[in-house]
Amino acid sequence: MTSPSNSFDDGPFLVVDDLSVRFPTSDGVVSAVSNLSYEVELGKTLGIVGESGSGKSVSSMAILGLHDRRSTELSGSIRVGGDEILGKGEEAMRALRGNDVAMIFQDALAALHPYFRIGKQLTEAYLAHHPSASKRDAEKRAIEMLDRVGIPQPDMRFKDYPHQFSGGMRQRVMIAMALINDPKLVIADEPTTALDVTVQAQILDLLQDLQREFNSAIILITHDLGVVAEFADDVMVMYGGRAVEKGPAKDILVRPEMPYTWGLLSSIPDVEADTNAKLIPIAGNPPSLLNLPSGCSFHPRCPHTGKVPGNLCSTELPELLPARSGPTHFKRCHLADPEAVYREEVLPEIAPDLLEEDR
Amino acid sequence: MWAYVVRRCLVGVALIMALTLITFALFFASPVDPARFACGKNCSAEQRDVTRAALGYDKPFVVQWAGYLKGLAVGRDFPLDAEQRAAAPDQVTHCAAPCLGYSHLDSKTVNEMVADALPITASLAIVALVMWLIGGVLFGILAAIHQGSLIDRGVVGGTLVIYAFPSFAIAVFLLQYVAVKWGIVPLPRYTEIADGGLWAWFSNLLLPALTLALLYLAGYVRMTRAFVLESLSEDYIRTAKAKGLKSRTVVFKHALRAALTPLVTMTGLDFASLLGGAIITERVFTYHGLGMLTVDANNSSDLAVLVGIVLLAGMIVIIANIVVDVLYAYIDPRVKVA
Amino acid sequence: MRSKLRRIGAAAAAAGLGLSLAACGGSGSDDASGGDAEGSKGGTLHYLLNAPIESADPQRVYYGFQLASWRRTLYRGLVAFPMDKDEKAGNTPVADLATDTGTPNEDASSWEFTIKDGVKWEDGSDITCEDFRYGASRVFANDVITGGPNYTLSYLDVPQKDGKPTYPGPYKATPEQQAEFDKAIACDGNKITYNFNKPWADFPLAAAGMMMTDPYKESFDEGPKSEWKVLANGPYKLEGGVWDKNKGGTMVRNEAYDEKTDDPEKLRLALPDEIVWSVDGSDEASEIINQRLIADSGDDQYAITTGRVPATMLQQVTGAVEERYSNVLSPYVRYLVLNAKSMTNPKVREALKVSTDIDSVIKAQGGDKIGVPAESLVNPVTPGYQDNPAFEGDNAGDVEAAKKLLEESGEKLPYPIQLSYAKSPTNDAAMGALQQKWEAAGFKVTLDGLGDTYYDVISKPDKKSDVMLAGWGNDWPSMMTVMPPLFDSRPNVSATDCNNDYGCYHSDEFNKKLDEAANASDLDAQIKALQESDEILGKDVAYIPLYVEKFNWLRGSKVTGFDVTPASSSYPEIGLIGVQN
Repeated sequence: MTSPSNSFDDGPFLVVDDLSVRFPTSDGVVSAVSNLSYEVELGKTLGIVGESGSGKSVSSMAILGLHDRRSTELSGSIRVGGDEILGKGEEAMRALRGNDVAMIFQDALAALHPYFRIGKQLTEAYLAHHPSASKRDAEKRAIEMLDRVGIPQPDMRFKDYPHQFSGGMRQRVMIAMALINDPKLVIADEPTTALDVTVQAQILDLLQDLQREFNSAIILITHDLGVVAEFADDVMVMYGGRAVEKGPAKDILVRPEMPYTWGLLSSIPDVEADTNAKLIPIAGNPPSLLNLPSGCSFHPRCPHTGKVPGNLCSTELPELLPARSGPTHFKRCHLADPEAVYREEVLPEIAPDLLEEDR
Repeated sequence: MWAYVVRRCLVGVALIMALTLITFALFFASPVDPARFACGKNCSAEQRDVTRAALGYDKPFVVQWAGYLKGLAVGRDFPLDAEQRAAAPDQVTHCAAPCLGYSHLDSKTVNEMVADALPITASLAIVALVMWLIGGVLFGILAAIHQGSLIDRGVVGGTLVIYAFPSFAIAVFLLQYVAVKWGIVPLPRYTEIADGGLWAWFSNLLLPALTLALLYLAGYVRMTRAFVLESLSEDYIRTAKAKGLKSRTVVFKHALRAALTPLVTMTGLDFASLLGGAIITERVFTYHGLGMLTVDANNSSDLAVLVGIVLLAGMIVIIANIVVDVLYAYIDPRVKVA
Repeated sequence: MRSKLRRIGAAAAAAGLGLSLAACGGSGSDDASGGDAEGSKGGTLHYLLNAPIESADPQRVYYGFQLASWRRTLYRGLVAFPMDKDEKAGNTPVADLATDTGTPNEDASSWEFTIKDGVKWEDGSDITCEDFRYGASRVFANDVITGGPNYTLSYLDVPQKDGKPTYPGPYKATPEQQAEFDKAIACDGNKITYNFNKPWADFPLAAAGMMMTDPYKESFDEGPKSEWKVLANGPYKLEGGVWDKNKGGTMVRNEAYDEKTDDPEKLRLALPDEIVWSVDGSDEASEIINQRLIADSGDDQYAITTGRVPATMLQQVTGAVEERYSNVLSPYVRYLVLNAKSMTNPKVREALKVSTDIDSVIKAQGGDKIGVPAESLVNPVTPGYQDNPAFEGDNAGDVEAAKKLLEESGEKLPYPIQLSYAKSPTNDAAMGALQQKWEAAGFKVTLDGLGDTYYDVISKPDKKSDVMLAGWGNDWPSMMTVMPPLFDSRPNVSATDCNNDYGCYHSDEFNKKLDEAANASDLDAQIKALQESDEILGKDVAYIPLYVEKFNWLRGSKVTGFDVTPASSSYPEIGLIGVQN
């Protein structure tokens, strides 16, 4: 999976290998991301799932080079289209940003500039990477994009300010802005948070449509496994700055092998779910990245440590190892037979009907 | 919007009336006898009574105040003594509404005196404003984008040191050394554009305006720095960077645009208060603006001039507040004035 | 910071500005150097004023330097003081617009003058007797023509009511009132007769020094609106005819002026073709102007100033600069007034007097270039001046004698007094020096430095001040302009105000001497009565003289004929000054 080829046609578009991100502070070193590896192919979607502070946003900011260079230590490798970008200069990174790699942020109200008309914000994005284009070209392109993302009367709305749009429309504007330069990789950071459920679905549908149309790679950052289930080809679950489970979406959702993933699954509010299902929040708080728990970072919150001999959970960090379900499914857990635990203890609690079907 | 402006103006009128009343009351509470100056050096007590009556200072102060308000509303004729006006109609000075008063010491209406002084003060204020805004914003941004570094500390510390000097000391230093002793610039003397052209006007304003600008610079550097830092941490700045914009564009367009809103408010109000006259600077550089007029009027107990200036300064501040509010609606598209 | 206007305008400002004598009689002072090069006609002189003047209207001018310098340039009078350095000659008026210095009647209650032929206003019209009468009448409209001297109100023989003239000035007068006034100043062709209600022996001195009897052309008069207008009759006229209070003005040659009607050698050489007067009204004006004069570049080489060299800048006056420097005695005396209402014990007053350390006061003010000890309130060059015997002896303050006097006084010691003064750094130091000696003698001194309200506070009868610092300069060379305005309780003291009689001093014996002087028909008798009145003041310790102020002047290197005279109040004598061409 770490093909040395320079041409990304025959490999994943994005390869993150052994990435660590650290912020030295006066209180100590914050380990935001530790030894993270993943990859995304064109036309595919990777869902990165985790609570806030799990490192999912930080890792993608590193891909865009949006971290503060003076206060961040990076190690490992990030290759975009086969090109190593760690260590690149600011100007090279700037040329990449919004062009090959674009980002869709959550909360479009805060992420769009309140004092600039959206037309200006869109054309600006276009002109940043098409310096020879005329203003008129840029406007045409912007209106085209607004139309494409489903904004009615785009030539009129072009002159409006962000606050004059509804939440869903605003998110569409964000998407139009991110896609205006035909990026090959789109990082969508919680693109549907703060939107109501029907609008969420519309936005995700839109993203999916656009992905099909442009064949781009998408990283979908979310804390909502439900969204991932709908949308992602692969899933990576992060906890305490590390990947704790990753693999094809289907494997992760159906045969999860890490107790933290189980916790996430049990906390999905599902409108379609049957009323017997319980919504079980994960007990405890996310760990401090300044002072990660020893051993498995999840052990203080894990209800299953008793099933592991000795105090292995709190002393030794489990390796990210292949799971039983398949060679592309990895998990980081000391449990000897996590599948059994899931089936016997977790599933009856969270989805009794699913259990029935399975049997 | 217009209803809002009208409403604010009405409140302004009430405020101005209160201002004149307070000024009158303060003036009459002071032990200074205004007739002493008008009467001259060797003046008997009796003589002074005559002078006091001639100036109208013998009347109860509420009567004087009412007369003043009348002048504001419909104008007045001077001298106040009707008999005198009838006897020598060619000596009557008509002071049209809004009449700010009449200075017996200068035999001029306060309106004329203000009309002479205001352009000087305004010129000073405008040039100073441009100086401190450019300096303040540039240094503020410089400090903000180098937050925590030596540059940041140098800029903030340096302007603070300047700020610690009284403007009087700066003014005297600039005048005595830069102008007189070293002769780097000619002695500043206010020159109207009509008289000497734009350059003469500007070059004569350099030192006094610099004095004023240095006074405000520290505040604006710190404010700009704080506002820019605040807006740099906003989500939309991250968006701008993610779009691949040049960092210059991000800072000067996106971050500064957001920082501009509070800056405009501050600038508007500071500018308005400066239009009331920069007393120390005008005095050191002998600029006969409103500040100088105020001091002279105070020293010679010229009530009419004092009240007129207080009134004018009050009006300017009130109008500036309204203008800033309305401007806000244009600067920040999210704000609706109502 | 002292306010300039107050310094000029206050009724009895410490640096009183009346016209007077100067250039100390004979004297150990470095006199003004006689002029750097022979003066010739032509060129432009620059006069840098350190404060604005109060009016350009002759009947409203009361600023000593302005009276003197405008007499030489714009406004001629009936008579004028010559530019003579000799104190006797310099204090004796000579004919100007009149043919001679006037003829009094027997008791000097009536004066007659004849106006010269061929004297003209700048517009070419003749100066008539009526112009003189009209000018004098304007002073009576003291609700319009405010600010100038008004001695004539109490002298001119017009009907009075309650001791006040009923004539309201030319603007409001009824024909009857005007007719009465026209009798007080009678015109007969070129002949003008002034009729007074009592003898006025020193009237020519008043007419020379002040402008209250100067002519004024009625058709030019716009009452209050004339405040800054100038219709000249001297060798110069004001360009544009209007003085700019904040900027000044430019004087140019007056073509209507005929030198032959004048006595240029005695009264006005009028050397420069142009005199540019520029006002710098800032607080630091004197510092800035003198810095410029030290630098001596450009137009400043042709400049003189009214701004004295501040004591702190005197050490910069060395080498070549010193050749452009003059240190002269001024007509101004600084003195202490004792509050007659609170300081009632004669022994205490005496003790205060003997322990007053004048030497230290002068030192604190800047040393012997700033002042010399005074032995009377009267300036030494005033005709009839004599040392007041009450203030003889050394000036260092005799602590032992004062101690003894205080013990004899029977008062509880230390005796508390409050010393009030106009606050300034040098005054703080000087008053501190007084405090030290006085406390050694047995007083307990509270220093009370006051701001702009100083003269208003100390003229109140119920003030807390026991001793007050003041200053005075006479209006014309006569003790009549010293003792009466400062200590005559009758015009000064009322229930609410003591006016210029800050100590609220009242003495019938003293007032009687003043009446004697006022009614004297010749100057000798007047002088004798006034000398006696000063002795009474000394005996009562109504005041304690401190020092006679000295003036320090710089000038540009191309200025010629620089000098001061008694007539110029020790300010630059502009009638003599020219510039190198």
